[in-house]
Order: sequence, then C-alpha cells, then structure tokens
Amino acid sequence: MSSASAPPSATVGTAYPVTLTDDAGRKVTLSAAPTRIVSLAPSNTEIVCALGACDELVGVTDFDSYPAQVASVTHVVVGAVVDVEKVAAARPQLILAAGNGLTPGPVIDQLTQLGYPVLSLYPHDLNGVYADVSLVASAIDASPAARELVLGMKAREAAVVSAVSGSKSPRTFYEVGVYQGAIYTAGQDSFLASLIILAGGRPVTGDPVTTAIQLEDLISADPEVILLGDGAYDPSVTPATVGARPGWFAMTAVRDGRVEVMQEDPVITRPGPRIIDGLEALAHAIHPELFH
Amino acid sequence: MRATVAAPSTPRTIAIGPSLTRTTIVLGGGAILVLGVLVLAVAIGSVGVGLDDTVGILAHRLLGLPLAHTWAPWMEQVIFDVRLPRVLTAMLVGGGLALAGTVFQALLRNPMADPYIIGTASGASLGAIAGLMAPVLVPGLLIGAGSSWLGLGVVQLLAFGGGLGTVLLVYAVSRANGRVPVVTLLLTGYAVSAVLAAGVAMLMFLSGQRLGAIFGWLMGSLAGARWIDLAFAAPLLGLSATLLVVRWRRLNLLLLGEGAAAHLGLDVEREKLALTVLASLATSTVVAISGTIGFVGLVVPHVLRLAVGPDHRLLLPASVLYGAALLALADLGARLAGGIPVGIVTALIGAPFFIWLLRRSRTLRPVVVP
Repeated sequence: MSSASAPPSATVGTAYPVTLTDDAGRKVTLSAAPTRIVSLAPSNTEIVCALGACDELVGVTDFDSYPAQVASVTHVVVGAVVDVEKVAAARPQLILAAGNGLTPGPVIDQLTQLGYPVLSLYPHDLNGVYADVSLVASAIDASPAARELVLGMKAREAAVVSAVSGSKSPRTFYEVGVYQGAIYTAGQDSFLASLIILAGGRPVTGDPVTTAIQLEDLISADPEVILLGDGAYDPSVTPATVGARPGWFAMTAVRDGRVEVMQEDPVITRPGPRIIDGLEALAHAIHPELFH
Repeated sequence: MRATVAAPSTPRTIAIGPSLTRTTIVLGGGAILVLGVLVLAVAIGSVGVGLDDTVGILAHRLLGLPLAHTWAPWMEQVIFDVRLPRVLTAMLVGGGLALAGTVFQALLRNPMADPYIIGTASGASLGAIAGLMAPVLVPGLLIGAGSSWLGLGVVQLLAFGGGLGTVLLVYAVSRANGRVPVVTLLLTGYAVSAVLAAGVAMLMFLSGQRLGAIFGWLMGSLAGARWIDLAFAAPLLGLSATLLVVRWRRLNLLLLGEGAAAHLGLDVEREKLALTVLASLATSTVVAISGTIGFVGLVVPHVLRLAVGPDHRLLLPASVLYGAALLALADLGARLAGGIPVGIVTALIGAPFFIWLLRRSRTLRPVVVP
C-alpha cells in the first residue's frame, strides 16, 4: 500500500530530496532528513521511537503513553483536538497524521496549506503496519533500523501463525464496546478481524461500515470464544456480567466459560510496532492449549 | 427636549427612529468593540506570542510596513495564517447569523425564529455530510471529500447549495395563489427539515469511522478557518448584508403586519421573497464555512431589541457588529478551553445572560410585534 517512489532499498540511507506516497495516496516531498517530528497518533509515536528517533519528537498527543520518555514531549493534540497553533509553534519538519478521519481531513488540509509535509498513516492489516514502518523510515532516514524492526516483527508473526496452524479455528467474538444496546466488534475485513485470523480464530464480524452486530446475529453466529476488549477500560465488563446479559447464555463461549477480558486491548487496537504483542495476546487467549 | 417639558404650549418634536447620538453610541461602540475583540482574539491563543510581536506581524503583513523581524517565522504563521483567518471567520459568521436571525424574526413575526428555521440547517447538513461521505456513498466517484473547486472543498460547496436550495424549495412549495403565508412557510420548513433530518440520521448511522467528522461539523467549528474560505464567504456576506441593511424601512413596515404594510404601499410578497433569499444566502454562506453554530442567530437579535428597541434602522447594523464581536469572543473562550466546540461556549455563557436580561427588563419592549 504505502511505497516510496524513490527506491528505498531498505539497507541504504534515504537520498534527499525524496518524494513519498502516504496511505491516503498523497505525495509528500522532503528536502532533507527531518529532525523535528510531530506525531498526531500514539501508533505513529511508537513507530518513530521504535526507529530510534524518539528524541526528534517535538509534539505528541494526550493519549501517548508509550514509550515512557514521550511523557515530557509537548502535547499538540489536546483531548481529541489538534491544536494547530501548538503544531506550528513546535516548528515541525514532518507531521505524521492518522488516516480514516482519526486526524480530521480539514486539519490535514490546513497543515498542508501551512506548508508542512504531512504523512497520513492508515494500515489495513499487519503488512500495512510493516509498510508504514518502512515509509516513516524512508522519511526520517532510518531504513536500516526499520529493516531490523520489521524482520523481528515478521519473525514473531510467523511464529504465531505456525503455532496455531493445524489447530481448529474457534469462532471468536471480540467485543469493542456496547453502547445503548448496540454491540460493536471487529468489522468485516477490518484490521482487527485480520489479526484474529492470524491468531488462529474465526472472527465473528459486524457490519463492514458501522462495525455493529445485532444480538440475534451474534447468537446465531454462536461464538466459541468471547474476548472483551472493552473490559480493559470498564471494570463493570467482566465474564460474569457478560454471561448475565439477556440472551448471552445461549452462546457456546458463555456456557463453556470461554469469556475473557483482554487487558492487552491498547496494543491490539494500536497499529504500531507493539501490535505483535497484541497478536500474541490474541493467540494465547484463543488457543490457551498451545501456549504455556 | 429637556426644558420644553415645562412649557406645554411649545410643539414637541416626536422622535421617529433612533436619535443621532443613540445611533452613534450603539454603532460606534459596536465598531470599537469589534476592533478591540479583534486585537484581543488575535493576541491570545494556546501558544504565547508577545503583544509587540503580534502587532508587528500584523503591521508587517497587513500594512506592508518594512519592520525588522523580531519574531520567529512560526509566530508569523500562527498569527497570520492560523489565528487571524479564524478570528475574521468568527466575526463574519457571528455577524451573518445575528443579521439573518434579526431578519427572520421580523419576517416571520416569530420570536423563536433563527437563521436556520426554514430549512437552511438541515439542507446544509445533509449536503455537508453527503460530501464528507462521498467516497463511501458512491465508490469510485471522482469527486471525493478531498477534491475542491476554486479552492473550496466539496463539503463546503454541498453545504452551501444544500442550505440555499432547501430554502428555495420550501418557499416554492409554500406558495399558493401567488402568496406565501408565513404560517405555511414555517410549517413547510419544519416538514422539509424533518425529511432531511431523517436523511442526516441515516447517513450518520452508516458513517462508521467518519461519525466524528460529521458530529464535529454538526456542532459547528471555526477550527479549520482558512483565507480561501474567507475569500469565498466575505463577498457573498458583504453583498447580502448590504442589501438587507438597506431594507430596514420595509422590515419596520412588516412589523406592523402584512395587511398594514400592504396598505402602506409595500409589495409584501415580493419583499418577503427578497428578504428570505437574502437572509438565506447569508446563512448558507456562513454555514458552509463553519457548520451549524447555534444560539447566536436566535439570541443576539433579542438582546439587541431589549437594548436598543425594535427599529431595524439601528437593529440591523447593530446585529452585525455585536454578533461579530460575540462570536469572536466566544471562539476565543473555546480555543482557550482546549478547542471545545464554540457552540458550547455561546450557549453555556450566553443563555444564562439572556435569562438574566429577560428577568431584569420587566417592561419588555415588544420582542416581535405579533
């Protein structure tokens, strides 16, 4: 998906000026290696730091929690709002936005018009994360580090895939949240659904656009494993309370006691380098018999 | 007038309309207020730029003064490309909404009327949301949400067209035997808005991850203000505002009731159409660049009527000035509160103030003559 139009053969450094194409298909030209980077999403922050450029971050978000050293960086995303003044005051040479509306389109337009190079990252699956790591590396001249990082991630992905291969894939329902009775889960063909497949599960998916599933569809899909992503943030979401919801006892997972809170939800839903931790956590939860 | 009271035989002057001093105080004060708020709102923000640098940057960029650059380039960008267009947009939007609200309240003789009442908001919302979802709505469509025409985004153009188009539709549907009764206009506007709101709700339900962007648009925001949007909005607003302000005499006549106005020689139906189109043009322009910001267009006209009376000769220009100052001030508050939607600030501070004002002025001036 993402690719550098200048050949970024991963072992050599980037030759500037370089023109890169981001995940939104926008072409961005950098005249020199940026040393002042603003990240508008925690996953982008983690990619920059994993490439050894944490010191070059001059702006991050309120939600950045990892790695610990970003705590001292100025927050330019306050709440869910990008403070354009603070971005400008950080004098960035590269801005890493998040796609799919996470960084609002008008904000990306505004920052672009102000003359900043903005790369928008929006991976659809693990390969998309690898491509984004390489894309950021091409932008900040860190391709050797990216190659090492991606190789390591791919090796761990392959280990998970080979561990679960040959086992039966249980029907797996991942609960993202329940709001006003509407149940949200992994959308059809979503990033989360692709992770569940890699972890050896068969995802029970919701609508590809709204990511919602109706209770009767969920009951008829009869999940064998229920993973509670929302339980990582809401202590009232537990296997006991979920089992007590009207209609839920009809599901095999509830009767078999295969309902589990996913404390690792932050890394499962954050498409950065630690996504592999999330993949491993999913595999452990779906196939406890294969691990330990 | 002072001493003449003692001598009853002296013929008394009956003041028609506001006196000159009163006009000077209200409009002069409003103009000073607007300038003061402009300086204040450009000087204050989430990052600190000194007042001397702020003034220097403005003098350099606006007046072309060859000043020594005592400021960093990023400061110039913050002041001139981020804050100034935002403050000016807030002023255009606030002035436009207050003016359109004043006109609609008089035209419809309804104190609950606001600029959005006969369909502008729902039409513009549907247009904007369709624009925000364009790639999802019609896969492979050439006009994506990111495409633009003359520098304006498809979202803004669809909002503008949706707002203005809806009002024209409502007006055409309300017309019977060459007349457009105000009650029919209001009720048709309500019904058409309900249909469009259903469309908005449907698109929101289908929007998935774009819901955040849609929600932000519906609440109204000045955050993305750009010079290019001002270049689109300022001429349209300037034109509609001028043509509305010079119609003060006709609006005063309409306050007497349509029958009385007709007897006094006003072509009532023609005037109603002109006022509706002009006020809706102003509203649609404003909504296209800022989303649907509530409260300003409803309450500023009432506050001003309480303060200066119902004469539109003073009321119309005053609503532009005070609406502009109010929204720029509210937006400053919204920025300092961490970028919350400006509509929250206007309602949270403005509504209690309005209640206080209503209770204080027991002898209510006629809010809108029924």
